[in-house]
Amino acid sequence: MALIELNDINKTYNNGQPLHVLKGINLQIERGEFVSIMGASGSGKSTLLNILGILDNYDTGTYHLDGKLIKDLSEKQAADYRNRMIGFIFQSFNLIGFKTAVENVELPLYYQGVPRKKRQQLAMEYLEKMGLTPWANHFPNEMSGGQKQRVAIARALITQPRIILADEPTGALDSKTSVEVMQLLKQLNKEDNITIIVVTHEGGVANETDKIIHIKDGIIGKIEENFSHAAWQGSAMK
Amino acid sequence: MRELFHEIGSSLRQNKLRTALTGFAVSWGIFLLIALLGAGNGLMNSFMGNMEQYVSQSISVEGWRTSKPYAGYKENRRIQLDNKDLEYTKGKDWEGRIHNVITATTGKSVTLTLGGNSVGAWMEGKMPEHLEQEKLQMAAGRYINQGDMDACRKVMVMSLAQAKELSPQKPEALIGQWVGAGEIAFRVVGIYHTDEQSFRRSSPIPYSTYKRIFDPSDKIESITFTVEGPRTLQEHQTFQEEYGGAIKRLHSIAPDDQRGIWIRNGYTENLQMSNASRILTIAMWILGLLTLVSGIVGVSNIMLITVKERTHEFGIRKAIGAKPGDILKLIIAESVSITALFGYVGMLLGMVACEILDKTVARKGVNIGFEEIKMLVNPSVGVDVAIEATLLLVLAGTLAGIIPAWKAARVKPIEALRAE
Repeated sequence: MALIELNDINKTYNNGQPLHVLKGINLQIERGEFVSIMGASGSGKSTLLNILGILDNYDTGTYHLDGKLIKDLSEKQAADYRNRMIGFIFQSFNLIGFKTAVENVELPLYYQGVPRKKRQQLAMEYLEKMGLTPWANHFPNEMSGGQKQRVAIARALITQPRIILADEPTGALDSKTSVEVMQLLKQLNKEDNITIIVVTHEGGVANETDKIIHIKDGIIGKIEENFSHAAWQGSAMK
Repeated sequence: MRELFHEIGSSLRQNKLRTALTGFAVSWGIFLLIALLGAGNGLMNSFMGNMEQYVSQSISVEGWRTSKPYAGYKENRRIQLDNKDLEYTKGKDWEGRIHNVITATTGKSVTLTLGGNSVGAWMEGKMPEHLEQEKLQMAAGRYINQGDMDACRKVMVMSLAQAKELSPQKPEALIGQWVGAGEIAFRVVGIYHTDEQSFRRSSPIPYSTYKRIFDPSDKIESITFTVEGPRTLQEHQTFQEEYGGAIKRLHSIAPDDQRGIWIRNGYTENLQMSNASRILTIAMWILGLLTLVSGIVGVSNIMLITVKERTHEFGIRKAIGAKPGDILKLIIAESVSITALFGYVGMLLGMVACEILDKTVARKGVNIGFEEIKMLVNPSVGVDVAIEATLLLVLAGTLAGIIPAWKAARVKPIEALRAE
């Protein structure tokens, strides 16, 4: 079984006018893949990501993550699965403002009940890997966008999750930093064999990944193999 | 636990203004609760202390003036108790119910003189039992005894204030001296205590002596006795009606005449006083609790806003693995910490306020003419109340935190993350 198996996923939002967002998604993602999901705004890509991240539920179909059926979970169970199996990287970083870099990174382990010393030690290791050791005791507002995103990546990695879900990871960054962050994700995928799914509307970003899944109007369009990174004909990024 | 405190500490430090506002609401509530209870206790102590001098566990009956014509007599007739009433009260009708019957005379204003000093006095004929009845404390010597009564001795007891006027250097040296009272001299046998401010003029002499010298008739000013049996206000009411009715019959007073005789019941006064003090305590608690409630509402209100403000943060926490229970715990712990910490501060301030009251208001008396009384005596709250208040705080903190925490714990992570 693949790491991620989606089978005929449907999702409708009922805010006044019913909105059928996902219309039967079938998707398989294997261990160690570096995939991007591309689509315009309103295509359903964010909803798909939220379902993959167990932040939202779906109406019909099945979703298996690492062999476990993710359906009708209690809040508690969902939180536990998110904590252990998924690492999130957000467009707006989503760091907690009154916590230092190292405190932000160790937070997922706090919810696992890992002792303080161990947590700090691990968080420092991951920050070192991101080249942020000197910034460990700084608050987010004292850091640049790229640094903040690297703190967020360290936080996503610290629980050694099955997949990393990145929602527009370069959306709030300038082009130079965007390249650096994508290089970092690529390196994590190649060297540590971490499964990464990136959601983006930018072709340049998608072009850095090995497989591009196009989504349009709630259904999956074509899936491009992109090992040559030549899918995007413009400049490397932006 | 340490982890949780660390979490709380950083979020409280993050929002200093909010923390201060919440804290103020709670501190103020507790401060008022403690200060009110302290002042209430002080008021009650003074109330009880001032009354204790006069109220004894006994019943007194005196003659008065009638207000209704009855049995051929006109109204406004002066009623005078005499030996008949005394015999009746001591008689078989009341055997086993009325004890320690004593009598007293009307007083007589005299000037006491010794050497060149003089002081005014109200000379009364009293019995040995009056020492207990009036709760007098002897400063020197003794009170009137049965020997004085039997031998009709010309002896006198006076207050310390009077003794100081007659013998400023050594009041206790008066014991055994003969003091002039008009044309007659009395030997001082005892001096009773008066509190610092009050100046009491009563100078008792033996009842028998008074009757023999000043008033040889069988008239009696007042009859005082203790009773056995009646306990409650209701029972005393019944007793009083029964006994008073009998005395009224002896003097041909209309049964429904409220003014023919006057009965003072120390038991019911004590009962009413303890009722009053209980009601005062309850009223203080209610007032204090209501103030506290407004503090709790304040905390709850601010917690609600806090939760709203921090929804995004809770969304992040949930995304990276915080369970609803973790969020619940965080908020409740935060609100309990705020209430407990600032409540403790308020409690200390309240105790300081009680101390200040004690050092200022409580030290000064209020002059009510013939003596000074203290408005507040020892205004303070006990350790038990402090512990109760602390427990109340923790409970209040939990209550204040529950609704906001519940709200925060229920928000779906996806919605929380969208919030800004």
